[in-house]
Amino acid sequence: MMPIWTKSGEKHAVTLLKVQDCHVLRYVSKEESGGKTAKLLVGGKNVSPFSKPESAHEIFKEAGVPRKQKVTTFNVTDDAIIKPGTPLYAAHFRPGQFVDVTAKTIGKGFQGVVKRWGFKGQPASHGQTKTHRRPGAISTNKAAKVYRGKKMPGKMGNIYRTSFGLKVWRINTKHDIIYVNGSVPGHTNCLVKVRDSKLPTYKDCNKNPPFPTFFADGDEELPEDLFDEEIFQFTDPSVTFA
Amino acid sequence: RVSSDGKPPKFQPPPKPVIIDRKTQKEERRFLSPEFIPPRGRTDPLKYYIERKDMIQRRKVFNIPEFYVGHVLAVTTADPYASDKSKRFVGICIQRGGKGLGATFVLRNVIEDQGVEICYELYSPRIQAIEVLKLEKRLDENLMYLRDALPEYSTFDVNMKPVPRMDHEEIPVNKLQVRMKPKPWSKRWERPKYNIKGIKFELPEHKMKAAQKWSQPWLEFDMLREYDTSKIEEKIRKELNEELEK
Repeated sequence: MMPIWTKSGEKHAVTLLKVQDCHVLRYVSKEESGGKTAKLLVGGKNVSPFSKPESAHEIFKEAGVPRKQKVTTFNVTDDAIIKPGTPLYAAHFRPGQFVDVTAKTIGKGFQGVVKRWGFKGQPASHGQTKTHRRPGAISTNKAAKVYRGKKMPGKMGNIYRTSFGLKVWRINTKHDIIYVNGSVPGHTNCLVKVRDSKLPTYKDCNKNPPFPTFFADGDEELPEDLFDEEIFQFTDPSVTFA
Repeated sequence: RVSSDGKPPKFQPPPKPVIIDRKTQKEERRFLSPEFIPPRGRTDPLKYYIERKDMIQRRKVFNIPEFYVGHVLAVTTADPYASDKSKRFVGICIQRGGKGLGATFVLRNVIEDQGVEICYELYSPRIQAIEVLKLEKRLDENLMYLRDALPEYSTFDVNMKPVPRMDHEEIPVNKLQVRMKPKPWSKRWERPKYNIKGIKFELPEHKMKAAQKWSQPWLEFDMLREYDTSKIEEKIRKELNEELEK
């Protein structure tokens, strides 16, 4: 995570996400998958092919791509279908876009009710016998049962969670890095899924994104760094208020 | 000279001029700002490389002078609410923290009997100028104990003129022993974990001995805590010199 300054001198915290060897693996049509839209399977980071059996390598062999550590699905409209085997780059996103980021949260193991659900527990003194971080009562008398989904101790973390509506401040095309506003679930160097935001406020936000994606062998020559309009670039002199 | 034979004296060539190569001498003892050294951790070194590029870019446009804890600095920042749209603050640097772009330094001064500490970010675009008024290192790297010292040690004139620096090599170390206000202090500075050499402790002997109870003499031999930064520093220094000369 890094600080970033706007032209008016305000500071925002930014997370760096690296796009490492992403390839489109397979196209699944609407009828095949049984959903509302077609799907594209996309694979992430390259990993050694020797730790899984040959049967698991079929998808990768069809696309002509080394084995990937993570395979995710993206719901895609029919005009945005990409041929399997094309690499995906960070330039697919542009500064000023809004993005949802999904990842597995940091695993905390088996945790009690105070840390897991934020219960208040009991006082430390004034006669409490061996009861300081316990849940207390779990149901009423009339219910005569414990409801499903009652908050109780258990394994915390290591589940998929999404942060919605994060602004993309800057993109580095040379190293394929996306600078995303705020924090993102997961530990450092964990695998993360970045998707265009589905929040209703940001529905009409993307102005001329590269559609269906950014192709590296195309005619477009992008500069090494793409900045948002409001970012203070370090090539400018210090900020002054008129 | 008196000639022995009546002939003119033997031609003595003038002494050869001794060329002191200032540039190579300067580069041997170059200062590397502490925020360039990456901390120990499992982050990808690519992140530190990219941050360093941004830091170098900022340093090309705006001059950040070499300074240590104990120097007296004057910082002018842009402020939308001030009448001149800029604020100037003079103070002694108490501590330098943070790594990378978020590096900060805290300046302390006593203005009209009120102690004021301001934490500035080195790479913030609001900072318009940093001037070093007085160069002197102190015995410690963290002068937070000045909060519990007598206010005369933290007062510096706001309109102080910069003290001219003679040599471009040595920074003088001020071995000042500071006198403290009566206890209680904000932290127990007599304890060995702070390792402070710049305070004149006027506490009774039995209290100083009792403070030694919290000493951890095994810490300096702990090999897992060792972090040798010499090679990393060399690489970063080379990179910096190359980029700044461009």
